[in-house]
Amino acid sequence: MFSQNRLALAEAERARDAVLAALTPNDNPVALAIADDHGVPILLLRQDGAPTRMLSRARAKAYTAATLGLDTVVFRDQHVNATWRSLNDWGDPMLTTLQGGLVVRSGETVVGGIAMSGNSTTRDEALAHIGLRAMDLRP
Amino acid sequence: MISQLSVDLHDARLAVDAVLDAARSSEKPLAISVVDPGGNVVYQLRQDGASSVDVRHAERKAYTGAYIGRDTSMWRLQILHDGRTVADWANPNLTTLHGGWTLRRDGAVIGGLGVSGSGDEDRDEQLALKGAEALAGLAVAAWRAQRNPVRIRDRSAR
Repeated sequence: MFSQNRLALAEAERARDAVLAALTPNDNPVALAIADDHGVPILLLRQDGAPTRMLSRARAKAYTAATLGLDTVVFRDQHVNATWRSLNDWGDPMLTTLQGGLVVRSGETVVGGIAMSGNSTTRDEALAHIGLRAMDLRP
Repeated sequence: MISQLSVDLHDARLAVDAVLDAARSSEKPLAISVVDPGGNVVYQLRQDGASSVDVRHAERKAYTGAYIGRDTSMWRLQILHDGRTVADWANPNLTTLHGGWTLRRDGAVIGGLGVSGSGDEDRDEQLALKGAEALAGLAVAAWRAQRNPVRIRDRSAR
């Protein structure tokens, strides 16, 4: 037997509210995905007018960050591009190198992933950071 | 060009909240999914302790409600009656597990709602119905709000 800290719905809802409050009229309609440490969704959201692919991307980004324990941009730069490999080497069709997925940690432990899609990938990541901070996770 | 009604994020969150309000605190944790008419997720959440299987089933139930245009339990009866199985549709996202409701407005399919996790598919269905009813109540309120001012204007014109 072992016990493990898991990300709770209450934390995901705090992130949701912070992200929605941070959106400006300049933002496109967005999709938000928050997953547990296995990459399984806790909360998915797609704003009116956001194409379906935005939520598919957000899900993939959150899954990637959670299961690899790496922000997607770090995975892209330090693990895929730096080693001249492609995503095929990982053998997992849910993985993505698109920026905008962040690891959620409690102390040193990976407890999930949060990701945005809908705007530029840098804006996606900035919004995901706002959600991550709002979770207010302590070790 | 054609226009198609779709459940929006506001309504989807309202429906999910209605399901959560209807669930007793002693019940097992749920996964709830609301999809648009194309079966694509608009809003989905998983209560603490609900499993990844519940997440998958909730989404597949909602997808089926929207895609088939029938509640999953009614669709199950229909295909049993016809001597078919879900495999005949050649779509792995479809399910006949109870707990998927078609969301409609003015007769048109605007999405689907799926619930999984209660441990009893008929209870999943009861809870999903609460979400669908909340949206139907919203539609009736909107209809009344539209209708009453028109009547008043009509009277004054006479």
